Amino acid sequence: MTVEAAPLHRVEPGYRHVVRIHTALFWLPVAIAAVVADQLLLWATPFYGLASILVPLLALAVIILAPNRKYGRLGYALQPTLLRVVRGWLFHTDTIVPLVRVQHIDVTRSPLDKAFGTATLVVHTAGTHNSIVTLPGLSPDNAAAIRDEIRQQIRTDFE
Amino acid sequence: MNDEAVALGPPERLHPLSLLSSLGASLRGMWGLFAAGGYFAVQGNWLLLTVTAALFAIFSVGAAVLRWRRFAFRVGAREIRVDSGLLSQTHRSIPFDRIQDVTVEQGPLARALGLARVRFETGGSAGTKEDGSLAAIPLQRAEEIRDLVRASRGLAAAPAVGQITEEEQPVFAMDLRRVLLAGVFNFSLAVLGGLVGLTQTFGDALNFDPFRRRFWEGLFAPGTPLGDFFLAHQVAAITAGALTLILIGLGTGLLRTVLREHGFRLDRTAVGLRRRRGLLTLTDVVLPARRTQAAIIATGPVRERFGWSTLKLQSLAKEEAGKGDHVVAPLAQEAEIAAVLGAIGWPAPRGPQWRRVSSAYVAAFAAALAPFALIAAANLAFQPAVGTAGLAILAILLAVRVLAWRRYAFALDGDRLLVRSGWWRRRLKILPLRNIQSVDYQQMFLDRWFGAANILIGVAGGGMSGHGIKALPAGTARDIRDHLLSRFT
Repeated sequence: MTVEAAPLHRVEPGYRHVVRIHTALFWLPVAIAAVVADQLLLWATPFYGLASILVPLLALAVIILAPNRKYGRLGYALQPTLLRVVRGWLFHTDTIVPLVRVQHIDVTRSPLDKAFGTATLVVHTAGTHNSIVTLPGLSPDNAAAIRDEIRQQIRTDFE
Repeated sequence: MNDEAVALGPPERLHPLSLLSSLGASLRGMWGLFAAGGYFAVQGNWLLLTVTAALFAIFSVGAAVLRWRRFAFRVGAREIRVDSGLLSQTHRSIPFDRIQDVTVEQGPLARALGLARVRFETGGSAGTKEDGSLAAIPLQRAEEIRDLVRASRGLAAAPAVGQITEEEQPVFAMDLRRVLLAGVFNFSLAVLGGLVGLTQTFGDALNFDPFRRRFWEGLFAPGTPLGDFFLAHQVAAITAGALTLILIGLGTGLLRTVLREHGFRLDRTAVGLRRRRGLLTLTDVVLPARRTQAAIIATGPVRERFGWSTLKLQSLAKEEAGKGDHVVAPLAQEAEIAAVLGAIGWPAPRGPQWRRVSSAYVAAFAAALAPFALIAAANLAFQPAVGTAGLAILAILLAVRVLAWRRYAFALDGDRLLVRSGWWRRRLKILPLRNIQSVDYQQMFLDRWFGAANILIGVAGGGMSGHGIKALPAGTARDIRDHLLSRFT
């Protein structure tokens, strides 16, 4: 059986808004800093005005486009013995955690998660690489259901 | 259980000598007070200086004594209890089953007094190092505790054997000649790096910096004594300089290696391997075989030519310095390494079917270097020297990458994954598939251009260098991932 046999599920659409606010929280200060630096430091150079226009435009484009793309690229599949989390295009990773390898599981909800009705599943393994695998954007019920299913698996296979 | 509560031994204290080491720690922690004291002394404010010194004595000595009085441990049949803490008290129970490693250490002073430090490694005690160790207890007691823990672990690991059997013949040992040879291979110019750092920090205050050109230009300017001497004996001076560098490098390597590896001895015990080494600080570590996650055989172009390499084991138990990999053979020939691996029940890889990886290993690297190459090329017009140097460095990096690619290969050797990598830092990693914690299939945008993908593998324990296979053709990468995970599906 290959690990790609099971179809990937999408996360909640509300996750797009969570990503959008996260992106905005990162890019807005960058854009403001660029504008301030441009106005204060670069006014005597021939590049004056370039950063004031380009960086905010770039920030706006990222804030508008990135959330949908990230949402579209994020998928997960819970198979009988494996959890698979696929994300990203520019930095594409496809993580597989055998459920027997899970040490403990968290379901966390940040204020943003609460505002948009999502939750994040956090799976801890003993590995040095990938010791924490996160699956964001699940509905709270679904996250709890997945957690219970994984916990069941840990119990049955516990040495 | 009641029996176990009864089985807990009487409370034991640390030797008062441990006060010294905790005083040392508080001395380091109170540098602010020292700064203040120094300031008062310079000012001639002797009253405040006395007050500061008195405060220091009361706080640090008092706290250390109180902490020592509050620290007690009890050894039970199945666990060790450690009670500690002044304001926030901690009662820690360390079950023997959770202890993965027991270390008995002796510093020079402790050796003179017949004391030792016992350190317990548990899977979860990453952050709280101090509570997992007994700082200063009599050596005999330390060995008793270690044997007790080890025997309990031994019973759990191999019920058929039961007793600890330590063979007369070590699995691997190094005589002084071998240690010195290892020291030669540990040639290191790190001391020079340290000097660069020092002069960067203090050079301005000293008003000279031997790592700046100006310093040497001044010294060697024609007309100055040194300059004339240099002009007269150019070849001799350059040779002497090179010799000095070589001597510094050799000396550093020899000193560090002899201090660490002197009397290296590896024994087989019921649970795994026992390593003893060290000249001034003797360490004694037990590495349970079933806690071993992966093996790493490391060598270099020169060492490999003479058949030497280093064997490290990646274990759940952490190394004393916080590094994850335990060196079990610092400098050994192939047969000796096979013997050590055999002692923990791992057959040495013999003639595996090596498979090369995609040329994307070089191509993606070259693409990542391209922007820097453009910058360096543009620099040729403005600063020819800088531009040429930049291009030369990039060319060297690329050449080393090509050499590394020619060596890079992997093999599926039964239920193990073998990965051979590096040209300068040559590594052969042996990873039993049962120790895989997670698998990533990763494709960065550069990899995608060349149709390649990386496999990253999570393995417990170990240092920074992760496990995985780089630059596989995307389809192969998916097949390999299925194979790696086949025992879990």
